[in-house]
Amino acid sequence: MTKTNVTRRQMLKTAAAASLATTGPWWLVRGSHAARAKKLVFWQLPNFTPLADQLQKEQVYEFAKSAGLKESEVEYATVANEGFAEKLAAALEAGNPPDVARLYESNVQFYAAQGHLLDVTDLVDKMRREPKGIFDSSLTAVRYNGRAYGVPLAVNPWPVHARIDLLEQHKLDYPKTWDEFIETCKKIQSPPRLFGFGMCLGLVEDTTDNVMNLLWCYGGKMVEADNKTVVMNSPENAAGVKVIEAMFRTHKIIPQGTIGWDNSGNNKAYQSRQAAFVMNPTSIYAYLNQSDPDLQKRTGLFPVPAGPKGTINLIDTWAFGAFKQNPYPELARGLISHFMQPANYDKIIQSTGGRWVPVYKRLFDSPFWKSKPEFKHFVSMAETGRPVSYAGSPTPAAGEVLNTHVIPKMIQRVLVDNWEPPRALEECHRRIEEVYARNLKL
Amino acid sequence: MTSGVDPAVLYPDERAVPTPVLRARRRRSLTGRHEARLAYALLLPALLVILGFVAYPFVSAVYLSLQNKPVGAVGRFVGLANYAELFRDEVFFQTVRNTIVYTTVGVSLKFVLGLTMALILDQKRRFNNVFRMLLFIPWAVPVVIAALNWRWIFDDLSGFLNNFLITVGLTRDIISWLADPRLAMGCVIAVVVWQGTPFYTMTFLAGLQAIPRELYEAAEIDGASVVRQFVHITVPRLRTIFLTTVMLSTIWTATNLQFVLILTRGGPANRTEIFPHLAYVTALGARRLGMGAAVSLAFFPLLVILIVLLTRRMLRQTDD
Amino acid sequence: MPRTTSGTRRLFRWIGNGLLLVMLVWTLVPFYWMIATSLKADREIYGFEATLVPHHPTLAAYVRLFQQTPFLKYVRNSTIIAVSTTAVSLVFGCLGAYALARLRFRGRRLIARGLVFTYLVPPSLLFIPLFAMMSALSLVDTHQGLILAYLGFTVPFCTWLLMGYFRSVPLELEEAALVDGCTRLGALIRVVLPMSLPALAVVAFFSFTQAWNEFLYANVFVNSVEVRTITTGLTLFIVEDVFFWGPMMGAAFLSALPPLVVYLVFQRWVVKGLTLGAVKG
Repeated sequence: MTKTNVTRRQMLKTAAAASLATTGPWWLVRGSHAARAKKLVFWQLPNFTPLADQLQKEQVYEFAKSAGLKESEVEYATVANEGFAEKLAAALEAGNPPDVARLYESNVQFYAAQGHLLDVTDLVDKMRREPKGIFDSSLTAVRYNGRAYGVPLAVNPWPVHARIDLLEQHKLDYPKTWDEFIETCKKIQSPPRLFGFGMCLGLVEDTTDNVMNLLWCYGGKMVEADNKTVVMNSPENAAGVKVIEAMFRTHKIIPQGTIGWDNSGNNKAYQSRQAAFVMNPTSIYAYLNQSDPDLQKRTGLFPVPAGPKGTINLIDTWAFGAFKQNPYPELARGLISHFMQPANYDKIIQSTGGRWVPVYKRLFDSPFWKSKPEFKHFVSMAETGRPVSYAGSPTPAAGEVLNTHVIPKMIQRVLVDNWEPPRALEECHRRIEEVYARNLKL
Repeated sequence: MTSGVDPAVLYPDERAVPTPVLRARRRRSLTGRHEARLAYALLLPALLVILGFVAYPFVSAVYLSLQNKPVGAVGRFVGLANYAELFRDEVFFQTVRNTIVYTTVGVSLKFVLGLTMALILDQKRRFNNVFRMLLFIPWAVPVVIAALNWRWIFDDLSGFLNNFLITVGLTRDIISWLADPRLAMGCVIAVVVWQGTPFYTMTFLAGLQAIPRELYEAAEIDGASVVRQFVHITVPRLRTIFLTTVMLSTIWTATNLQFVLILTRGGPANRTEIFPHLAYVTALGARRLGMGAAVSLAFFPLLVILIVLLTRRMLRQTDD
Repeated sequence: MPRTTSGTRRLFRWIGNGLLLVMLVWTLVPFYWMIATSLKADREIYGFEATLVPHHPTLAAYVRLFQQTPFLKYVRNSTIIAVSTTAVSLVFGCLGAYALARLRFRGRRLIARGLVFTYLVPPSLLFIPLFAMMSALSLVDTHQGLILAYLGFTVPFCTWLLMGYFRSVPLELEEAALVDGCTRLGALIRVVLPMSLPALAVVAFFSFTQAWNEFLYANVFVNSVEVRTITTGLTLFIVEDVFFWGPMMGAAFLSALPPLVVYLVFQRWVVKGLTLGAVKG
């Protein structure tokens, strides 16, 4: 039997292969990118109902056909929310992002600032020229240096979802002020089965949204309109935080476990009839529409109660962005334009069951909205609503503050570490200042 | 087999084989150079995979940590500025402590439970196969699902655990498992142990199954108790497997962000913030890839020291 | 006089049975919860009472799963990728492990340690440069791309674990084979591998399961439904802040079945191999 004998040739081949393997990737990455076979790449995030997804897909292929594209030249990819950030980051780093994708709030300004998005001001202007135009509040998110880099597709208020049946049962009206709100909660709740206020206090985006919305009613805010001056450590904010602390500790209208909630926590609490009031976009409402019409009948959608400085409602915006790396920018812009044609757009809006609130004011006159009393406040909420970065706009800095949960950490300092609100706000202020300073340098 | 007595009985611990015997035999089979060439040839595929798909990204991660690099933008070299910023942050030290606690307790519990279950499953029993399969389930379920499931079980308002405890009467109030600063880390570790124990159970079991029964029978004839058999036969045979498993699992546990991401997101108030999660939030939340890489790499030295120390004895063994 | 250990053994057996029961309950309750959820109507999923047994069991979630997603396609893709990854990892792992366990050569310790070092940079950081490479190599949206990426994860640990097992095989047996004129590779195939059947089964099993359940790479490297795996399909049931628990848990349950069945089959094969005298040589 011959012994295993590795010959010199084999060794040389091995050495060559090894060196190729180690250095190969370097050459390839520095070299050419994969040739694009697709002319139009659309990343679709789930639209909440299968019907809406189906309609959107049809609209994409409809447009493609009208633009003379073959089906094989269109890539329609359904991308889940979970992992979307990773996917987009990797795609951008590799130099081949999608052509069109739905972007949330500050993401538009973030990618615009880096020069990744196409200028779509003309598309937005066309929308504004429609009869009654669009909600201008939707433009704060998509504007960067005076130009629009995203086309707003939905402006979503964050109403208070309220159990009107419980209010009726206790012969109460929807509370007009936060003080009334606290009293109302105390009257209608019966812990541990039912809590009054399902305020999200975990380390997630919903918390920043819930907390800031309340602080605004007390005159507080995160940053001034110049998008530079951070005002987190104001006495108004401290007053608002003290109210939250009182709700949590003294009045006990907020369940203790909200500290550990994620974004679906308040959805779940309301849907399982364990919270009477939650502040959330209408994803809850749309879910009830699909799966729990009984609870939907008992649900009212209201603006936020007023504080000593009035009421300010929260909105967030979703927009379509077109990435510049696309060798066929006209196709990307054409697709967005196609989506935003009022007839096409309205079909999708209605098929989401109330999840998307239209940017075209005129669409609110349709029976879908007019026939439902719960939407009667929506027009004014969409019109006067402010983004979470109020008084600033959703800049990349604001986006970083939201994504790294700076404000939820502040609230948890108060509620878990027992810090005094001014001290927690001071730390929060410092961190936000750091973020804004760093982002300005870019 | 040429000899009459099973050599496995003669030399249960391979280190006990007299080295002159080994050396003589080895010299007869291959020269050192041929041995080396064969080794490289056999290792080539594994090495190619590692160099091609791991070494390059590893090096680029190190380089990344020295840059200020937002997602999608061009990077700017800043030297050690990221690390400096990291060490200035008080959350960093809490993260170090949390990660050490989380990893040590998690791995220890997994080891003890895994070994216990492996020994139990090695006993003769009807339906052992089925039990082994059932105990494997935590590993067969995707981590994301397992974590989501557990988060729901721990949910304060509608979670199974609270419901059960209240119904059975063990407690009257709702326990906020994941929101209570005293309980959160324990709950996360419980889920980590739930999901990771099968890895230990199965690797140890495989080792146990390869130990011939004659060894135990011979020892029994010699009058050794069950415990002595365990200490003198089982443990030496499994020592290397113990080390390899613990080594791998330690790194996997220390770099796994899924559980913290889904269960607590580092809360409440940073009580469960661990390195991989902090790196993730920085790299993708704040979209600072350079800083995220720095956070990831900051924990390396500790892990590298651990690896070197633990593997030193193990790798030294058959060096003659 | 020989001391009987049968008493101690019996005690340990009873303790063992007790602990086994506890462990089974602890392991299975969450899994049961998953299955129960998949059989509940939405209304019951969100009820206050966390009902142990569904009051109105329904297959609606499964219907939805199959109607709204190409679930079988996902299963096909997951299978192709997991099986290929496992097969290749086993081969590469065995060869490499044997070298590290038995041969002497310069760099042995460094390479062995290097295997473990490869896990220091976790996928959550690695995926970006890896994706850039995949993109440049036109491997995005392909089975091969994902398999190669998974090999980067499974090959080191297969090699490392098998190294540990191979070292536990008594040297004497191989030495005897070599003396008889066997080549090194022959010794590997004829002596070491048969003695390591349980180890091979376990390592193959872990590789399969990891490839089957992996999410991050599968999500980032694949766009088209034709290549998408089960885990990325699962996450489509999480729409922002709304979780469609029913179909998600249904899919998760179905997805856990193949690995479990494969495990059961593997175990039988391993036990058969052992009792057929592979160990006894």
